Amino acid sequence: MRFLPLFWSGIWRKPGRTVLIFFQVSVAFALFGMLQGLKTGVDHAVAAARADLLIVHSRLNFFAASLPSGSIEQIKSAPGVRLVVPVDIFGAHYQEPTEGLGVVAIGLVKDWPLAFTYSIAPNYLAAFQKLRTGTLINDALAKKYGWKVGDRIPLMSNTAQVSGSTNWAFDIVGTFSDSDLGGGRYTILINLAYLDEARALGKGTVQHFNVAISDSKQAATVADEIDRRFANSPGETKTESLQELAQSQMQAIGDMNFLIRAIVAAALVALLFATATMMIQSVRERTLELAVLKTVGFTDRAVFLLILAEALLICIAAAALGLAVATAVLPLAARFVLGLTMPKIVLAMGLAFAVVVALISAAIPAALAGRLKVAAALAGG
Amino acid sequence: MSFIRQFLAILLLSLSGAVQRIGSVLTIIIGVACAVGVLVSMLAMGAGVMRQAMGNVRDDRVIMTSVGARNIQSSIPRDEAVAARDLPGIKKSTDAAPVVVFESMVPIEARRRVTGIRVFFPMVGTTAIFTQYRPEIHFTGGREFKPGLHEIIASNPCGRQFNGFDIGERRSLRGIDWTIVGRFDEGQSQQCKVYTDVETLMSAFNRNTYNMVSVMLQSPAEYDAFLKALQANPALHLEARHERDEVQQDLKPLKGILDFASYFVGTIMAIGATLGAVNCLYSIVDSRRREMGTLRAIGFGSAAITVSILCESLLFALPGALLGGALAWAFFNGLAASPFGFNFQLAVTPSLGLTGIFWALGMGVVGGLLPALRASRLPIVTAIRAA
Repeated sequence: MRFLPLFWSGIWRKPGRTVLIFFQVSVAFALFGMLQGLKTGVDHAVAAARADLLIVHSRLNFFAASLPSGSIEQIKSAPGVRLVVPVDIFGAHYQEPTEGLGVVAIGLVKDWPLAFTYSIAPNYLAAFQKLRTGTLINDALAKKYGWKVGDRIPLMSNTAQVSGSTNWAFDIVGTFSDSDLGGGRYTILINLAYLDEARALGKGTVQHFNVAISDSKQAATVADEIDRRFANSPGETKTESLQELAQSQMQAIGDMNFLIRAIVAAALVALLFATATMMIQSVRERTLELAVLKTVGFTDRAVFLLILAEALLICIAAAALGLAVATAVLPLAARFVLGLTMPKIVLAMGLAFAVVVALISAAIPAALAGRLKVAAALAGG
Repeated sequence: MSFIRQFLAILLLSLSGAVQRIGSVLTIIIGVACAVGVLVSMLAMGAGVMRQAMGNVRDDRVIMTSVGARNIQSSIPRDEAVAARDLPGIKKSTDAAPVVVFESMVPIEARRRVTGIRVFFPMVGTTAIFTQYRPEIHFTGGREFKPGLHEIIASNPCGRQFNGFDIGERRSLRGIDWTIVGRFDEGQSQQCKVYTDVETLMSAFNRNTYNMVSVMLQSPAEYDAFLKALQANPALHLEARHERDEVQQDLKPLKGILDFASYFVGTIMAIGATLGAVNCLYSIVDSRRREMGTLRAIGFGSAAITVSILCESLLFALPGALLGGALAWAFFNGLAASPFGFNFQLAVTPSLGLTGIFWALGMGVVGGLLPALRASRLPIVTAIRAA
């Protein structure tokens, strides 16, 4: 502790240089944090995606094709299936064509939320079951348009009503939040029974079924069994777990692994050179001062540690700033990956790298300083 | 005149001293090299995508879809498709048939060889004349599909990326066994392409409309006449586009994302490298205070000093740029990548190298500016006295 002022003054011996190197380290670690955070964050999100929820949709086309509602009985009879909920989806917009949102129509069978990733308050859930034109809106939408429970929201859509009108109106009965990666940013939930009755086309069909299974380890077996039941029928199905869907959705970033690693490596190598040069330069300039320290009784070891501590302090503090910036910026990428946050492991990795960079770059200059011969140094100065 | 002589003299002096300051010089070079290398290799993705997609594009090919729809959303009734064959300017094949293909797409799935992950891509049903519409197709094994027999041909990249595309292998679609009967290369394309007979496909999938009708013109110059005739025909509710525009439209979002990511990361790296360069140049200038002071004292102008330091900074940045570009080329050129399900090889092109050099010169100027100004403003007396 008593060396604190000493090494503090060492750091601020040349403030300009310290500030520059500080920001250089910060920038490198901000980049590291963003790239590695994105990669690891996505990996975590995929791993956390529910493997026990299956989506049964048409083999032809995920969005455009539909399945007959009657398929539900065959799906239910597959072993391992706990709950099947029919779901239809369509796109709608609010006032302007650019203000799009997704409408998820859910068949309100008993315990249906078990087959979804939504969290809904019990009183909202009860209200939703009761009112046929009721809708639950997600939190992001509530925030975006300032919608409140009790509001009636007019929407426009390509899905026509029996009357021919393409305008729809729903009564907000509550809000929900979604933990699923591919859940969409702006969605509302409505009653499938109401939609099916009111729409002009596509009656008796659904876009997919949500299936909850009893054992997530059996997901692949159950999925294959369901698909087998519809093989060679006009309504051929394809069953995937949410985890599998998340995986293929996030495949893109997985493929970038090599590139991300190369970038991080390049950034750290460049940084290593910069910090090492800076430390060598700094020790060289201070030869005289370090010799004086030794003259007044500092051991070789103390001088060695003094230099090392300087490098460590700068690197760790700067890396912390960089990682903090990355943590603040990363949620902006949540547009592409819902709920993306900085994984703790990346922060730990970053700080560990900072220590490594500091130790490597300070090793030579600190050793030089430690071995400094007092007489020679003073004479040379 | 004396400015130039002074400038050259200082620059030579600086460079001859570079060896003694090898640490600082190397730091600048390596910092710039890393920043340029990262920028160039990331931009190589966008360049690779474009090269890959545009490689097979021909000016004499035109793609028609139903009005306002693209790709799989488009739906063209049979009678319109047949009528479109009579439009003027269409090339005639060797047996006098117009080179027009009717195409319909269905998604099929395959598992990646390495990861086993399921991937979806379209299987394209096409007309028998497609080999004349796509002369870049060269069969490397097997034969063309025969109508009515549920036969598939697949491009060689399919076989490299996915299981199940060897000749003789079967896959079940709509309860029917489809057999792979041929393998081909499609120009330089790394994209997996799978074709079958369009009528066989449509009857298997209960379809009555095509997705696209594509024609080959006698020459690219026929396009205007072709378009005019198409628009004048009230029976045809189709819109036509050059193949080039169609492909560009398809790739715009992907290219946009890739380029944004490249410049985003490239800029951050450049800021880091510039900060490093500033630091190093400051320490170079500091270590030469006495020298600078002496030069000023014997009558060298401060402008010459400023410019020569700036120039020195640029000269250090330049080898960095070359090194970075070379590293990017060595590591990444030709590397196969498939972000967003689009397969291509990264392309480190000369124009990207040039971008890298400009980027580096930018870092050199920005990084050299402050140290150069400081060098020229040193008070002569204190500078000469400096240790």
